[in-house]
Amino acid sequence: MVELVPSLLRQELAALAANDQRIDGRGRWDSRDITLETDCLYNAEGSAKVTWGDTIIYAGVKFEIRTPWPDRPAQGSLMCGAELRPVAGRKYEPGPPSPQSIELGRVVDRGIRESGCIDMDSLCIIPGEKVLGVMIDIHVLSDKGNIFDACALGAIAALRTAVVPAERFDIGEDYPLAVSMTPTMCSFTRVGGRYVLDANDEEELGGDERIHITLGDEGHLHSLQKGLKGTFTPAEFDEILGVAQQRCAELANLVNSKEA
Amino acid sequence: MGWRVARIGDKEMSGANEGAELRLVTPGEAIGASSGARAGTGTLIMGDKLIATRVGWAKENNGVTSVDPIHAAYMPRSGDLVIGVVESVRNNLWFADVNGPFNGLLPMSLAPWKVEFGAAREQMDIGDVMLARVQEVDEAHNIVLTMKGVGLRRLKEGIMSEISMNHISRLRGDADSTLRQLKEASDCRIIVAENGRVWVDGETDGIAFMRTVLDLVRNEGHMATFNASLEALIENRRNA
Amino acid sequence: MGGYGDVKLLREDGLRLDGRKVDEMREVEIEAGILPAADGSAWVKHGLNVAVCAVYGPMEAHPRKIQRQDRAVIDVRYNMAPFSTSDRIRPGYNRRSREISKVTAEALESVVLVERFPRSKIRVEIEILAAEAGTRCVGITAAAVALADAGIPMRDMIVGVASGKIEDTVVLDLDKAEDNYGQADLPMGILPTTGEIAFLQMDGDLSVDEYNTCMEYNLKAAREIHELMVDALKRRYMEKNGGEA
Repeated sequence: MVELVPSLLRQELAALAANDQRIDGRGRWDSRDITLETDCLYNAEGSAKVTWGDTIIYAGVKFEIRTPWPDRPAQGSLMCGAELRPVAGRKYEPGPPSPQSIELGRVVDRGIRESGCIDMDSLCIIPGEKVLGVMIDIHVLSDKGNIFDACALGAIAALRTAVVPAERFDIGEDYPLAVSMTPTMCSFTRVGGRYVLDANDEEELGGDERIHITLGDEGHLHSLQKGLKGTFTPAEFDEILGVAQQRCAELANLVNSKEA
Repeated sequence: MGWRVARIGDKEMSGANEGAELRLVTPGEAIGASSGARAGTGTLIMGDKLIATRVGWAKENNGVTSVDPIHAAYMPRSGDLVIGVVESVRNNLWFADVNGPFNGLLPMSLAPWKVEFGAAREQMDIGDVMLARVQEVDEAHNIVLTMKGVGLRRLKEGIMSEISMNHISRLRGDADSTLRQLKEASDCRIIVAENGRVWVDGETDGIAFMRTVLDLVRNEGHMATFNASLEALIENRRNA
Repeated sequence: MGGYGDVKLLREDGLRLDGRKVDEMREVEIEAGILPAADGSAWVKHGLNVAVCAVYGPMEAHPRKIQRQDRAVIDVRYNMAPFSTSDRIRPGYNRRSREISKVTAEALESVVLVERFPRSKIRVEIEILAAEAGTRCVGITAAAVALADAGIPMRDMIVGVASGKIEDTVVLDLDKAEDNYGQADLPMGILPTTGEIAFLQMDGDLSVDEYNTCMEYNLKAAREIHELMVDALKRRYMEKNGGEA
């Protein structure tokens, strides 16, 4: 369903931007409140619930034993997918995975994969025969803006608290999954002509393009994505990257505080 | 502006917190015997009982038992003042989202402009916001809108916001007393439409104040403390 | 029903493996209005099952061919999250979830006053986040609370409950092992005020007497869960109302 953008909303967002204000009273680089719960789903081997303002997502980790890819006989695999099902909002419709949900899953996947936080060699059980597949599934239950950052946070938090069910697979005793880094995502949306951090649903509705930045522990870039119609300047990117450096570190601290 | 938007009977319809005999009920709950009682909105006669069909406040008025729902979708009735958003435009008519299940249709003949066939978009395009009245609703829920009438027009400036149906009367107050107070305190023009949409226009600080007020309505509109919180907001604004 | 008769499901003292009596339910917790994006919503934890339900609408029924001129259609999607079971479920529809969605929709249509909203649809999105036997019943309970929370008019609530048979003994509310190795399962959707039944499935092997005992257990459980549903709906407004009313 295509959402209707009232002309008054775009005018309002532009007028607010001119006074350096936001529709919900936040500063330009302020995030909404975040609550992170981990180990909250009974059948998942690692899980997280993220309440990000009024946005709610769950992430769950499952493992499987599989045969390795022929070209990488001693490496396990990682897969991260997101489901934007109709439960998440009025605008979401039933049917096969939408381009939006595929984009969401892949952007989160790249940030985690490329950070190298999971050593694929460590997922090997018997080279050429048996390796572990790690699967992260993200489920968006309430989209009130910025599901990308919420999903990325939930995914890494679920991974960092995941326990490999080795006993069930008959490969020894259960052990925590080794995750060496905490990549987190910061998203910026052009609202009223300038970028803001963590846009809410109204800002997304009346805003323009968005940029997603995933940073690892050293502040290195691991995944970038520009979505929706619009362009930006290198100077604008420099500015939001500076904000992301600070914000991603805070988010990583939040995740790390949840570990046992 | 002096919009007279309240409907006869609004006072009875108002808020959850007036009168001590109000009782919170859920669907299927018996709220009285069917004999002698008249079933009002939100109720149903089932055998010898009168039952609630919605979560809401049960009350009795002049022998009619009804339930004021806490949540309800907007269902248009003819005569309603509504704020619509144009969803699509044809050669000689507009379809507008009126915050209900079905779009309203505004035919050229009920628009305030003389427009040539095919030039409808020049007057009002997709996303534009209108103040209109519901001309008629038929049994299949087809809605015809009109913009012929005093003050009905395209809303070119200002902000539009939404509140839930059961908060409309809280925002207006008895005989619009709260609304008058807010207009004075904000120095804004304010329209509270029957479909839960609110339009505000004025200076930047007045609009910002009204944004705070509307947040309060959305978050605390059903609370007993709402009026006191609102008073405090208004008082604050006056002293600023 | 797996029907593997040699798995012990009852202890020497007559209690079940998790210590419940034969007519005892697992613990149930219910919250209403937990999803800000939805028009109405509910969260139900029943044993280790977790179901979340969002309701949207009434809205215009699309595509046109599903529209009914005289009433609303209830569009139910029952879905199990990939991480809800011990083996990951591939996302997407399957035959099981389609069947459950269909019969759930028909059960809900029996209580919702659908004739009030011609040509509309009401979307009911049931998401199972954790599954431990009996998810369809938990989904129905969640859907009823979410519909009420959305202000959709109904003539009664509907409660999902199940009884079954393990080791030739009728028990209320089968858990995972009992569901896997038991002899029968009888899930029902019961209208708590009138005692009518709007949802019924069964598989396994039951004598008429055993069926009658199941029925009795289900009715009792429905009344108990109904109290929690009502409490969840009222709590949402009573607490916020600062004690008034």
